[in-house]
Amino acid sequence: MSILKKLLNIITYQENIKRESFILEETADDRQGGQKVGISSPEGKTAGEYDKPEATREQEEKTTACRRSFKKPVRPAHKAGDKSQKIKNSSSAEGRQRIQASIEDTGKSSVNDLSVSASLVENRETIKELYGLPDNKDIILRDIVIGTDPAIDGFIVYIDGLVDKPVQDLLIQALMLFATRPAPQDKGKLALYVKERLLPGNQVSVQSRFRDILDAVNYGDTALFLEGCAEAVLVETKGWEHRMVEKPVIEQILRGPQEAFGETLRTNTALVRKIIKNENLTTELLKVGARNRVNVAVMYLRDVANPALVAEVKRRIGSIKTDFIVDGGMLEEFIQDSPYNLNPTILATERPDRAAASIVEGRVVIIVDGSPFALIVPATMYEMMQTGEDVYSRWQLGTFIRYLRTMAFYLAFLAPGVYLAVVLFHHEMIPTELLLAIAGNRERVPFPSVVEVLLMEISFELIREAGLRIPGIMGTTIGIIGALVLGQAAVQANIVSPILVILVAITGLSSFAIPYFSLAFTLRIYRFFYIMLGTTMGFFGIAVGLFSQIVLTANLKSFGVPYLAPIGPRTVAGADVVTRLPVFFHKKRPDYLNPQDIKRQPDVSRGWAGPENGGKND
Amino acid sequence: MIREGKFGPAEAIVLLALSSLSRNFLSYPRLLVEIAGPAAWMTPFGGLVLVLVGIYLISLVLKKNPGHTIIETTEQAFGPFIGTAVNVLIVVSAFEMLGALFLREFSESMLTTTLRFAPISVIDFSFLAMGLLGAYLGIEALARTARLIYLYVLAGLFITFFSLIPFWNFYNLLPLFGKGLARDFLLGTYATAGISEVILAAVIVQAMGGVTYFTRIGYSSMLISFGILIMLLATLVLTYNWPVSEEFTLPFLRLSRTIYLGRFFQRPEAIFILIWTIIGALKISLMLYGAAVSLARSLKLPDYRPLIWPLGLAMFIIGLLPLDMPTTVNLDNIMRRVILIPNYLLPLLILAVYWLKGRRGRAGS
Repeated sequence: MSILKKLLNIITYQENIKRESFILEETADDRQGGQKVGISSPEGKTAGEYDKPEATREQEEKTTACRRSFKKPVRPAHKAGDKSQKIKNSSSAEGRQRIQASIEDTGKSSVNDLSVSASLVENRETIKELYGLPDNKDIILRDIVIGTDPAIDGFIVYIDGLVDKPVQDLLIQALMLFATRPAPQDKGKLALYVKERLLPGNQVSVQSRFRDILDAVNYGDTALFLEGCAEAVLVETKGWEHRMVEKPVIEQILRGPQEAFGETLRTNTALVRKIIKNENLTTELLKVGARNRVNVAVMYLRDVANPALVAEVKRRIGSIKTDFIVDGGMLEEFIQDSPYNLNPTILATERPDRAAASIVEGRVVIIVDGSPFALIVPATMYEMMQTGEDVYSRWQLGTFIRYLRTMAFYLAFLAPGVYLAVVLFHHEMIPTELLLAIAGNRERVPFPSVVEVLLMEISFELIREAGLRIPGIMGTTIGIIGALVLGQAAVQANIVSPILVILVAITGLSSFAIPYFSLAFTLRIYRFFYIMLGTTMGFFGIAVGLFSQIVLTANLKSFGVPYLAPIGPRTVAGADVVTRLPVFFHKKRPDYLNPQDIKRQPDVSRGWAGPENGGKND
Repeated sequence: MIREGKFGPAEAIVLLALSSLSRNFLSYPRLLVEIAGPAAWMTPFGGLVLVLVGIYLISLVLKKNPGHTIIETTEQAFGPFIGTAVNVLIVVSAFEMLGALFLREFSESMLTTTLRFAPISVIDFSFLAMGLLGAYLGIEALARTARLIYLYVLAGLFITFFSLIPFWNFYNLLPLFGKGLARDFLLGTYATAGISEVILAAVIVQAMGGVTYFTRIGYSSMLISFGILIMLLATLVLTYNWPVSEEFTLPFLRLSRTIYLGRFFQRPEAIFILIWTIIGALKISLMLYGAAVSLARSLKLPDYRPLIWPLGLAMFIIGLLPLDMPTTVNLDNIMRRVILIPNYLLPLLILAVYWLKGRRGRAGS
């Protein structure tokens, strides 16, 4: 009987009474359907809201609300910039009222309009509100008494881990122990007094808006608030742990500088400035990302770069509305001209010397804080085929390796497709002896040629990808597997023919010879298109692919500069496109950049070889 | 306002020259050998002179209405109704028909050359897809493409010509005037002057930098194009004698198949497929672009691109209508005469209208 009951229990529907441990509940406004899900900006608006008229926004809200009735978005309850939510966690009614009042006054839910108060208590409460203290453990709020006559109450705020402790100690010492002068009568000028009289060294500034203070503290500075003063003193105490300047990992060269960018913006800009010792080198800082508010440096030469280009770069970066940018790669996608095209139109480099050379040519360099790669704009495809070594080596070698790379460029995406086209459609092209050799080798392979090629290409791509991801200690394993899969073992197993092993090896080598990794990735993807085209339509298919690729690439632009300049369209090519002439022939900057100063050097740049010096070296 | 983009004179010259070269890869050279026999190489001379005159005439027309193309000028001369009708019936139709015939001829030549068992519609569609892409991206992208590939095309052509030197027999050129001077020059002129690039240049004149460069671009491109045609015809007759040359469906293919540079380098004609296809795609793109832009300008549309899809589909369908390759070639010969109307008759008529209007104006004043 009991068994029957159990069976009945199994097949009968019963309500699930087991409670789930955690359910992410919808927020109240989600249930009402009146609010939008989206990325919040510092002003509290969502990303799409900025440029839309009110009517459109209302319409969209209605649409979103209707959609939400059958699709449940999972949304965190806490929105950036939503002060009402933050206030909920607050313990202080005073601070809450003040911030609330600010919101009501301005009509914006923003810290942007919050100003420093003359009351130290109010400022402390505001800081506690804004940083979520005391829950937020790495924010340090320390009360101090400045040893002036009379003594001034104050407190400092900084983030533990981002500040340099010795500098911090010096700061506190200077204020608490060595500040023995009389304090000014006007307390409103205290901040200025501290800045000018009491704090030695460092970058010190006075700010009155909480937005600026938070930005500085979040970036490793220390903020000092003083009783009776409606301003705060910001002291530069940045000093977080970071990687040292190391050798380039991706863009290695034999001859030339061996430094690479790191993750610290200031170090990176200094590395460039170390090379270009010129007062016209300008570094502008822009903030991107509503959540992480990352600093983006825009570097250019004021008297060389085209002002329209600089303005366009700043316009594009300034218009980005997103919550989080952590690397130049993310920024690249936001600002590039044709994001749907496979070809990269922005050049990323980890070499300060390359970035500096680009700036001197009239380009603009963009460095994202935390990214060890600088973005160079505008960039043409020909520049993506060049390295610094081409110029650091003798010009004959530079020219030779560039032509070698050009050959590698074509081989990297065409070789397997052309092989298939020839083997499947155009046997007449192959000399008889070679044809017999290929046929003899393929005799024992059971797969069609295309399967054979795809098998090898996919294996090669897998090995390459695994080689990148595999932990260093296991690195040798991938070599062994690679040798087995792409080598003699595969041939002996009659899976592939020997000629194909050679073909895949040449293709792989060619793709590694492309100096810019992003372009090399592009060619890897193109290769599979050409394999399909060559298999289905022979040389006609290859031609279809080539025409489409050429016309699509010719249509590309990088920040207003044609991607294939100076060949398509034809502009003044100069002495450094594919063929590299000696550096004393590099008289002009690239014409397509339209720099303010086109001339790099005079016609006779080697003064010693001029006729007036008796030189006869030409 | 239609945004066409801009490109320089060098790109314009190469674009028009390559577009004009496309006929060399089809059965067209055979027709010229048929007309003049061993003097086939002389036939383009008369055509070249007429084409240069045509370019000059169009430049005179364009100067009457600077800042505009032949489409707006026609409308201004004949009035909005007749002008639009003339544009649509003569210019747009010419581009559309020529595009359709080239589409079919190139597809047929691919079938003959390499893809013998493929359905014609597949090849036709592949060419159309390339044409659509090229026309959609616009004349600027096409001009840059032409600039990027012209060296490869010229290298391919000259390698073909010079690789055949061992097979040349100069006695094949005799009798020097072939089937008679009258045939060489009169029929030859008639057969070679009908090229679409004259009217195409008048349609894309603003993208080429305006009327200032028009004659220079036109003359240079036609000299290159006709020069290569003359070299091709001479090579054809020198390599094979004229009665044999008359029999080739695709003379250029035959020439490239003849190349023998030793045991290892023989039968390289497959490589030329790349050149033929790319030139063919460029030509079809230009015809489609010309038709779409002319129609958009005639109808005062702000953009030409929505017209590309219907015009492309029409081109595809018209291209499949002829029964076979010989019918297509015959239709092509007829179209070569029809194109003389927009190239030469239309500018003459416009000039006459302007002259009459000017005379009436002078009489009135």
